Amino acid sequence: MTSENKFVSGTVTGRFSTISRNSLRAGIVFAILLATLVLAVAFPDSPEQAAKDNNVFVAVILLLMVIYWAKIYLNYEKIVTTTDIFLIISSGLFLWELLLGKFALLDSFIFPGPAKVFMVFQTDTERMVDGVISSLGILFAGYFLALALAIPIGLYAGWKKRLFDVAYPIAKTVSPIPATVYLPYSIVLLPTFRASSIFLIFIGAFWPILVGCVNGVFSADPRLINSARTLGLSDSQMIRKILLPAALPSIFSGAMIGLILSFITLTVAEMVAATSGLGWYIQYYHQFANYDKVIAGMILMILVVIGVMNIFDRIQKHFLRWHPVHGEGENSASSH
Amino acid sequence: MVSGLRPPSEGSVLIDGARVKGPGTDRGTVFQDYSLFPWMTTFENVCFAIEHAKKTGERKDIEKTAQEFIELVGLGKFKNAYPGTLSGGMRQRASIARMFSMDPKVFLMDEPFGALDSLNRIYMQDLLLHLWSEGEQRKTVLFVTHDVDEALLLSDRVAIMTPSPGRIKEIIEVPFSRPRLRKDLSVDPNYLALKSHLLSVLYGEMVEEIEKQEKQLEVFA
Repeated sequence: MTSENKFVSGTVTGRFSTISRNSLRAGIVFAILLATLVLAVAFPDSPEQAAKDNNVFVAVILLLMVIYWAKIYLNYEKIVTTTDIFLIISSGLFLWELLLGKFALLDSFIFPGPAKVFMVFQTDTERMVDGVISSLGILFAGYFLALALAIPIGLYAGWKKRLFDVAYPIAKTVSPIPATVYLPYSIVLLPTFRASSIFLIFIGAFWPILVGCVNGVFSADPRLINSARTLGLSDSQMIRKILLPAALPSIFSGAMIGLILSFITLTVAEMVAATSGLGWYIQYYHQFANYDKVIAGMILMILVVIGVMNIFDRIQKHFLRWHPVHGEGENSASSH
Repeated sequence: MVSGLRPPSEGSVLIDGARVKGPGTDRGTVFQDYSLFPWMTTFENVCFAIEHAKKTGERKDIEKTAQEFIELVGLGKFKNAYPGTLSGGMRQRASIARMFSMDPKVFLMDEPFGALDSLNRIYMQDLLLHLWSEGEQRKTVLFVTHDVDEALLLSDRVAIMTPSPGRIKEIIEVPFSRPRLRKDLSVDPNYLALKSHLLSVLYGEMVEEIEKQEKQLEVFA
């Protein structure tokens, strides 16, 4: 962003060279992806590799090209960032294919090339989809339960001094304890794995959201609260219309930490005790020493995380659209 | 105390004979730069205030009133903008629209133009005087300022307060007839005399304060 501005505000030649520099960098991304594609299609990993074993990998490379093109086409202002990210992704993919796929520098059983890994997405689709559905179901159930309880309690605790004095030290003490320590008891006490996982995620996400919420209310601008009090609001209106939005930026940062912890908790719980889900998928195939599927499981998990975080960001942007820092950045109405 | 945010340590505040017990919408308030809620647009801010001032009323009427006052202060184009995207002057205009739209008995203005540049301040003073004199009945305005010219231009009575403890030191009637024009006032000898009197009262206070502090320092030294 800043480097772009520096160029745009420069001379005509400066601007021109920025454009050609950007297209050069974009060209490099396409070149790397194309090279990976050629490598994948022209040279088989091993004599017994059939052409169709490459199908999914080829599709992935083409998909990356389309996504990259669409991103710079639709959002040209962000070309520098987009290109940087795609440079990293495409070079990583290229090196993976070259060093592990073609040259097999490391034991290709434990470190398979991308073609073998991406093939899993075709051969094991059903189990993967089931895993994603199962994991996301547990994640969202626990996470929304945590949101639904932590936000009202946090708002109230931040507002009432006495409750705050009690709740805040407790929350700060309990929140660093990993939720998975409750795993043995939650499995004994709750009827199913699903219920106990939901409970663990709830615990894991609850504390950071609570701390964020209490902090948000407690650090809300007292001048705004005074301004609200001159309107003669009731306690419930005060909490809903003033304290909640005032605390929202802090609630969102707590909710973000809560979401990350939920993911970690879920994966650990699944690796220990589940019979489906993303963590289970990786653990299960690890036991069979099927490293193609272990790595495919990791990639799947990364994709799910990207998706979920994307949704989170969109929600945050929508709710904090008024906020000068977190908002959409369409604050051009300023100055007269 | 007048806004009801803090109880008086002794005595009481009366408005039309009724005692002030807490914050209420019979007093409309404009603070220096934080009367508006940043998560509501200009329009939502004004609507929200009217809603709580009137308690009853159709949504349509509220929105119509809000629209009128926003246009009155010249923010029609910015009614859907969030305060964070407005300039300081625009924010204060929105605050004033909010205050007038609530139709309170008394206006409380706590250094409302303190954070504005001088041109904007002149514009806002004129706007305030205009809106105030246009009203059906001229409401009481309690206006806190540290600007002597502003005090003399706007007010009927000036109460000079001492810094900590904040007590009223002197109350001065401002005799000039309305409408007051800046260029007439600035050459009016009465105005100049009153201004120099005000300044000497304020300044005298400061000098005394400084001398007192110096004495204390001497004691320590």
